[in-house]
Amino acid sequence: MQRRHRRAHTVIWTGIAVVIPIMLIVIFASVPKLPADAPAVRLDATATQGDKQP
Amino acid sequence: MSLSYKPVIWNKTKLIYDAVMLAGIFIYILIFLRLGPVISSALRDTDLPIQRMRAFGSLALLMLTIVLAIGPLARIDARFVPLLYNRRHFGVMTAITAATHAYYVLGWYFSFSPTPQLTALFTSNTSFTSIAGFPFELFGVFALVILAILAVTSHDFWLSFLTPPVWKAIHMSVYFAYAAVILHVALGALIDRRDLALAFLSLGGLATLCVLHLIAGRRETSADAAASKKAPEAPWVIVGDVSEIAEGRAIIGMAQGGERIAVFRSKGGLSAVSNICSHQNGPIGEGKVVIGFITCPWHGYQYRPEDGCSPPPFRERIRKYRLRLEGSSILVDPEPLPLGTKVEPLAILAELSPAAAAPKNGGTV
Ligand code: HEM
Ligand code: FES
Repeated sequence: MQRRHRRAHTVIWTGIAVVIPIMLIVIFASVPKLPADAPAVRLDATATQGDKQP
Repeated sequence: MSLSYKPVIWNKTKLIYDAVMLAGIFIYILIFLRLGPVISSALRDTDLPIQRMRAFGSLALLMLTIVLAIGPLARIDARFVPLLYNRRHFGVMTAITAATHAYYVLGWYFSFSPTPQLTALFTSNTSFTSIAGFPFELFGVFALVILAILAVTSHDFWLSFLTPPVWKAIHMSVYFAYAAVILHVALGALIDRRDLALAFLSLGGLATLCVLHLIAGRRETSADAAASKKAPEAPWVIVGDVSEIAEGRAIIGMAQGGERIAVFRSKGGLSAVSNICSHQNGPIGEGKVVIGFITCPWHGYQYRPEDGCSPPPFRERIRKYRLRLEGSSILVDPEPLPLGTKVEPLAILAELSPAAAAPKNGGTV
């Protein structure tokens, strides 16, 4: 009973330690960047070229 | 222990624990709302409801990180065991803090929307195919639902109603709630603005928790792998020497692939019981004998050394094992006896007793 519990623990934490950092890297890498010729003064800091307006 | 169920059986330790926790929460929120805007110009430029939302959100994340660190810390160093004692109140307060955060989110972000607030929460962002634009709120909702379920089922009534294995399995979903919170924060606030403190709290916390849990897990696995030596007559195992056990303490042994067994020494006698507490599977062998009862180090459940039963009116029971002495070596039959079987403590011969004055080992694995 305890052995199974410990094994589940190890599996879950190994999974978190591997999967979440990869997801974070993908997330931060996919944040749209401002194009080099973007105007200096903008109303919103994050919207960029290619962002669809609703 | 469980005789009848009361909402909370208060005692002095729990009161102190909760008082310190509530004071910590109060001070955090106070400092965030008073000092935060002074230190951070970004925070100064936001409105009070947003500041409150951020104060409670970051506090919920901090509390969740701490509550998840307590388990492995207590396995790594016994000095953290007192934090385990009332961990469930900590968990419930974490859920309440997170719900307060969500309350401020709903009250502010969607209060001017023409659709009802809850509908707006689920429909205002539907970029399910985008990565960075994914509706991060959903991760928050998922985590909050899990935290709420765990808070509601945290009571011992549910523990005995669901049985400890099922209850433990359900409560392990807190790890998925934590993973969801990290994604919630990364996709929401961290992408939105450069917030060093929040990045440290979320990403530093994630790294710390992974390291702590994996270290604690590795220790347990290697302890499990180092099974006790086999005695000549199988299936008996040699768990150690009488001189290794201090008075009132235990050593822990186990057969290959089996569960751990604790051998306690008390008043010149030896008793072997399961190392697994019937409350929440705490490590009984790391506890001690208190006024004649084997006492679990986690929440203090007590068992009689001779039959593994809690004293009346309580009804908890743990298994007993057969014991033998060969010289000063302690041999245990890893086949458990039926629950409630009475086995008188095995007397330690007088000539072995003086060795107890200088125990080599406090009893931990
Ligand atoms: C119904 C559930 C939830 C909703 C709707 C929700 C919504 C939000 C929103 C809208 C933000 C603002 C993001 C931004 O600034 O761009 C936020 C931030 C945050 N949330 Fe949640 N959340 C929920 C649950 C949770 C839970 C359960 C936790 C943690 C245990 C949490 C932790 C945080 C943190 C740490 C932040 C960042 C605070 C900051 O800006 O400093 N949230 N959440
Ligand atoms: S696990 Fe709670 S008292 Fe043993």
